[in-house]
Amino acid sequence: MSRLSLQMGWRLLRRELRAGELTVLLLALLVAVTAMSSVAFFSDRIEQALTRQASQLLAADLVSNGNRPPPASWQQQAAQRGLQQAQSATFPSMVFAREQAVLATLKAVTAGYPLRGEVQLRTLQGPKEGRLAPAPGELWADTRLLQKLGLRLGDSVRLGNVSLRLSAEVLREPDGAMDLYNFIPRVLFNHADLAATGLVQDGSRVRYRLMVAGDAASVAGYRQWLAPQLDRRTRLEDVEEARPEVKSALERARRFLGLTALLSVLLSAAAVALAVRRYLARHWQSVAVMRALGQTGSEVALVWGSLFLWLALVAGVLGTVAGYGVQAGLLLLAQQWLGAGLPAPALTAWLSGPLSALILLAGFALPPLLALRRIPAVAVLRADMPTSSRSLLAPLLAIVALLGLAAWQVGDSTLALWLLGGLVGFLLAVGLLAWGVVRLLRRVPLSGAVGWRHGAANLARRPWLAVIQIAALSVSLMALLTLTVVRDDLIGAWQKSLPADAPDSFLINLQAPQQATLDALFAKVGRSAPQAAPMTRARLLMINERAVKGSDYEDERAQRLAEREFNLSWRAAPPPGNGFAAGKWWPADSTQPAFSVEQGLAETLGIRMGDVLVFDIAGTRWQAPVTSLRKVAWDSFQPNFFVIAPQGWMGGESASYITSYRAPDKDFNNRLVAALPNVTVIDISVIVREVKAVIGRLALAVETMFSLALAAGVLVLWAALAATRDERQFDVALLRALGASRQQVRAVILAELAWLGGLTGLLAGIGAMAIGSLVAVQLFNLPLAPNLWLPLLGALCGGAVVGLAGWPLLRKITRTPPTDILRNS
Amino acid sequence: MILRAEALARQVDYHGQTLTILHQASFSVAAGESVAIVGASGSGKSTLLAILAGLDPASSGEVWLDGQALSALDEDQRALLRRDKVGFVFQNFQLMPQFTALENVMLPLELAGRGDARAAASAMLQRVGLGHRLDHYPRHLSGGEQQRVALARAFVVRPTLLFADEPTGNLDPATGRQVIELLFQLNAEAGTALVLVTHDTALASRCAAVYRLNDGRLQREAT
Repeated sequence: MSRLSLQMGWRLLRRELRAGELTVLLLALLVAVTAMSSVAFFSDRIEQALTRQASQLLAADLVSNGNRPPPASWQQQAAQRGLQQAQSATFPSMVFAREQAVLATLKAVTAGYPLRGEVQLRTLQGPKEGRLAPAPGELWADTRLLQKLGLRLGDSVRLGNVSLRLSAEVLREPDGAMDLYNFIPRVLFNHADLAATGLVQDGSRVRYRLMVAGDAASVAGYRQWLAPQLDRRTRLEDVEEARPEVKSALERARRFLGLTALLSVLLSAAAVALAVRRYLARHWQSVAVMRALGQTGSEVALVWGSLFLWLALVAGVLGTVAGYGVQAGLLLLAQQWLGAGLPAPALTAWLSGPLSALILLAGFALPPLLALRRIPAVAVLRADMPTSSRSLLAPLLAIVALLGLAAWQVGDSTLALWLLGGLVGFLLAVGLLAWGVVRLLRRVPLSGAVGWRHGAANLARRPWLAVIQIAALSVSLMALLTLTVVRDDLIGAWQKSLPADAPDSFLINLQAPQQATLDALFAKVGRSAPQAAPMTRARLLMINERAVKGSDYEDERAQRLAEREFNLSWRAAPPPGNGFAAGKWWPADSTQPAFSVEQGLAETLGIRMGDVLVFDIAGTRWQAPVTSLRKVAWDSFQPNFFVIAPQGWMGGESASYITSYRAPDKDFNNRLVAALPNVTVIDISVIVREVKAVIGRLALAVETMFSLALAAGVLVLWAALAATRDERQFDVALLRALGASRQQVRAVILAELAWLGGLTGLLAGIGAMAIGSLVAVQLFNLPLAPNLWLPLLGALCGGAVVGLAGWPLLRKITRTPPTDILRNS
Repeated sequence: MILRAEALARQVDYHGQTLTILHQASFSVAAGESVAIVGASGSGKSTLLAILAGLDPASSGEVWLDGQALSALDEDQRALLRRDKVGFVFQNFQLMPQFTALENVMLPLELAGRGDARAAASAMLQRVGLGHRLDHYPRHLSGGEQQRVALARAFVVRPTLLFADEPTGNLDPATGRQVIELLFQLNAEAGTALVLVTHDTALASRCAAVYRLNDGRLQREAT
């Protein structure tokens, strides 16, 4: 770009800004950049905060978990990178006290534990809470152990060769509830006492954990360094792996945030498209003058191109600053839920604003800019704007720009593709419908008041303009409706995914004849007993006659899954809450061999529909084809199974039973264990509470983000209406000059706005309804019935919003003396 | 000859019918000469002007501008030729609304890459009597003042050839006369050849030669 073009562009920018010619475009861009960058800042920092919060559940940011003590080099490397570290060794062993013995999970921890999160204790000095570890010679135990052995604080407890003093009851251990099936009592003591116990010998089943924590970059760097050094028996755990139910909540939150960001992009794009079109429609004559004065087509395009480049820079910088401010304000509000001292936003969040301004302008201003080159010099002698060809290049470029922007912002191409696919379909449908309606308005002689007739005629007279306006407005209205109505439905459905009566207890080891006792226990408190599911341990031997070996898989998780036994169940009816990714469930009375496999497991092990699997269950081989792939809601707190077989085929096998339920009262589980001494009850109320808290916080963050996008949407709607003002100005002046009273003119404009708004809103309502259902089912796996009120609500809102928003702008037109407009046009 | 046209014709398609707007027009202007083209509204004056200035191509025939055949040049090459040789004055002034008077006059100098654009433009505006209004925007100037800025913009590059399209069409008679006086003075000072399109025969008679365009046919009138 030549210096002259840049200079001219800059001069034009300053003048046009002062003259108000670029106000609408600049505002649209500013709103876009502000929304986008505040969303980027906010989601970046919230995600960092959430990850940090979630890492409390791991007591660290990253954990290596292996069956040998971590090499000294790992610790040195962590120290060099400035990471905090702690170690633990966990193993099952008998614990002796009061002349009884109980199997417990022992955990020896070094000073510094926990690196993230807090321990909650009851001590002789009262409750304590914080980043605490037991001192040498001391031992902490959970409530289960205290109850089983009838211990009191201060008692002596023997672990192998040493006696330790019970100094605290553990009420909450950050990483204690990692495993849902972790039901044996837990004991914590100092790592320094480990050797003296003599419990760790060759062949002991000890898990050694090296925990590290620090800033995100150092942790990521360490992870990168560490990953290649791991042997098969050591794996890395981070937050998302550790807690599937938290991962699921984070995943949904990320998608909600992504959806918001995408909707703000859509809103802004609609406004930018309108504003660019308006600007160039008002300035083609300047281009023609330049051409007549001897500028070549490319030179002209360069001058205006540099104007837009400058504009993108100005809007990018100002909008990013504003976005940072908005985000800081939002975080102040959200601080009580997210904790103080949030990490600074990542560099990419800073780039998001300016880059999106550039992409938006490139997508929406470049095509008309290129068309400027074709404005002939002879246009200087004409009064009408030369018709530019309506090429498909503009929408195509715009869509490519949007796709790039969306995929980059959300980091989730599925979401972007779904929404863009929906948008393209919607725009096509709206365009066609609007075109049809406008044609109809032109054909049908309308009777009625002069205002209504003129209003309709005004729309019909400029069909392309009407179609563009309707499309742009309905996209913004659709986004607004999605943001308001669909949002509530979506968030409601999300929160309902973990209902108030979510199970808080798991019961395992139940034997088939004991279901009757269980039924009786529940009947006593007036509730029906949950139906227990059979469960047996099975080992996958073959896929399509190929023996399954861990070494066949690259993936660490696949290796583990291939080598270990996992839970298998059988059923007649499909498990409640499971969806199907492929295939279908067998008939309830089926006796045919078949397996239904969980989708994730199938992906990890490379199992496809129709593959023949062979399982070994207690020495017997079971062979059957895969007839369905299931989607399992792991956060449902229901017993879930990787593999299920038909009841009629496998039902005769012996099994223990598992179920989950919400305890009707505090003492219920004790009564249950007394009546069924062989079963084990696992209290998961702590986990359920934690997950609920996480979902609550995420929903709040998402709500805040939604309101931001909503504000952006309202602004953009206003901008879009301002962009259409010129088109009416001349008509109004002419009507006034021909003797129409102000009242008649107002009636015409109001009628046109009402037609425009009603039509737009109807289409927007239908679109929002479709998007809501689609997004809910496809992206969030949440059932959501279409809200049939949306089209009607849309039409009403559309009429009201367009009328109200347009009226003050148009009032100015009716007040301007007609001669001014006619002379200047 | 600075401008020569041979057998120019122009047809347009209108609803499937071919309309001929210009029939076999031939025409020439010598360096420094002033020529008027008169005719009623709709007689094809603007079409002829557009073709002569290389703004629009002819359907047939040829125009030589400063010896260059326009049909041999593409749109961008014609633009460069206009930049170097041609000035324009339009009926509706066609000033850039976003630029001040001074910047409007500087524009063609800047396009030609002249380093002294500001000084030259300022001097030219002094010459047309607007030295005190350099920083005013077109919307703050009267019609006569706007046309004087347009004159300054046209003459500041010392064009070989000036096209004026109804330069007084949007002005009241008194202001129109002043603008025309100025136009002829500047023309004489710069030694520019002038092609003046007008429907005002009195104005046309001030030119050395007068052509009349009647229903698309161009004829030289006796002077």
